[in-house]
Amino acid sequence: MALTRTIKTTRDDHLVAALAALAITIHIAESALPSPLPGIKPGLANVVTLLVLCRYGWRMAVWVTLLRVLVGSILIGTFLSPTFFLSASGAIASILVLGMLYAFSYKKSPGGPQLRSSWAIGPLGLGLAAAMAHMSGQFWVAYTLFVPHPGILTLFPVLLALASVLGIVSGLLTRTVLTRLNSDPVNH
Amino acid sequence: MPTSLPKLRISSWITKGDVVLLGFAIAILSGVFMTFWHNDGHGAEVVVYVEGKRWARLDLFQNQELHVHGALGSSHIRVLNGQVRFIDSPCPNKLCVHTGWLSQGGENATCLPNRVSVQILQSDPRFDSINF
Repeated sequence: MALTRTIKTTRDDHLVAALAALAITIHIAESALPSPLPGIKPGLANVVTLLVLCRYGWRMAVWVTLLRVLVGSILIGTFLSPTFFLSASGAIASILVLGMLYAFSYKKSPGGPQLRSSWAIGPLGLGLAAAMAHMSGQFWVAYTLFVPHPGILTLFPVLLALASVLGIVSGLLTRTVLTRLNSDPVNH
Repeated sequence: MPTSLPKLRISSWITKGDVVLLGFAIAILSGVFMTFWHNDGHGAEVVVYVEGKRWARLDLFQNQELHVHGALGSSHIRVLNGQVRFIDSPCPNKLCVHTGWLSQGGENATCLPNRVSVQILQSDPRFDSINF
């Protein structure tokens, strides 16, 4: 009598695990970087989310992002602390916005997502929108849950502007990586 | 190795959609700046109280020097570029002078011996009073 049960894993499961591991590594490395302003991070881990979104679609991107936030916080030791809730709310907000833009811009094809039209949002726009949504979601939670003082609202425009710039940078990085991956002989 | 990994080809670094989105982002950013930063300055006012009564209500951006006569003598108050402070006071411990510049809504400096105080008005006061 076998008491163990094997769980059948699909190819997608393995991909999610590998990509989430990559995102978690970047997430942790990034958390060690000093930041000039609290709440401002380069958001390099989000490059993985954007990359997964552009290559494997939204569902996979949701998995990778949520796993990154969960496992990343457990490894750093901030799980269920305010930092975790800020990070999670930002991630959820950005993944929702990405979902909408993705539905508008990309269509499924056997070879992966394809642009719907020339009006589709590219990596730059996705990075920008994701960063702005992340900052807004995070700020909304920070304001309503942790520091409901009107004083911190004056910080919001500055943080949102900085986040936008960093979002564009992460979008451009994503495009560079995408182009490199496409020209990688292993993937041909 | 699985046959072919999905590929997405994006010819240029910015698409037409990105330009539209960038426009939206700039609109949102300016909206946010206007919403949260617009009353950072103009329209701000300061109230001067003497003997518990409102003595004057002044524009914080109209620079001026005031000499207010209280119980002990003349308190010297300066309004400069959206800030206000006590410069000199006839009181013994000069707590009001040491309070320094005030610029945020609700901030106040009080000279109890001379019975003069200044408080910056705010549109939506969160507290009736603050005790230390």
